[in-house]
Amino acid sequence: MQSAGVIGRYAIGGAVAATFYLEPAATLDLDIFVEFPETIKGSLVSLKPIYDYLQGRGCPTSGEYIVVAEWPVQFLVPAGPLEVEALKRATRAEVEGTSTWVMTAEHLVAIALQTGRVKDHNRVLQFIELKKIDYPMLSDILQRHGLSLKWKQFEVRYFHGRH
Amino acid sequence: MGDTRREQLAALPFAEKLKILEKLRARSLAIAAAGLRGSESKTEDEPSAARDDKTDEPKS
Repeated sequence: MQSAGVIGRYAIGGAVAATFYLEPAATLDLDIFVEFPETIKGSLVSLKPIYDYLQGRGCPTSGEYIVVAEWPVQFLVPAGPLEVEALKRATRAEVEGTSTWVMTAEHLVAIALQTGRVKDHNRVLQFIELKKIDYPMLSDILQRHGLSLKWKQFEVRYFHGRH
Repeated sequence: MGDTRREQLAALPFAEKLKILEKLRARSLAIAAAGLRGSESKTEDEPSAARDDKTDEPKS
């Protein structure tokens, strides 16, 4: 899809991306963050080209998802500067000879912290427990995106401020 | 699940983890289809105690 010019940069996010670093945890769908090539960028971003492209290759839709290889895939446009950066700084991963892009552990943690649901906090705890975080890099991300206070609150909540 | 087992699972190649995700997803869907969601089921032998069921909470 990227080589066909339908999308520009992309990266896997969410639970599947977390699985790149952690032990597998059940999830029902796959989140893929995309940006569009300069040629089709406009003031109004539409995912229609993606849906058209995949439907043309036999992928059915199911609500907000498009089903690719039996996986419901949700294509997402970065909602803010943090997700834009996460997309730009994604790391390359190999899956059975195919190259793909996955958000860094630190960006996944920052996004989870920003989203702030219980399951997001659970994921952050998993990253901490398995020592998958580069703390200087995370600290830099948190500071630049105004999340340092949220991190302190997270530490107080789960580690009584001692982490 | 012990930390050692978790670390072993975390160290698997991404492709292997994706296969496990597919099995976990199939199991979740089977449970949902059986109408057992919300009840306590044995999950200790699953690769993770963590759950990321998108139906649990709406996206903020």
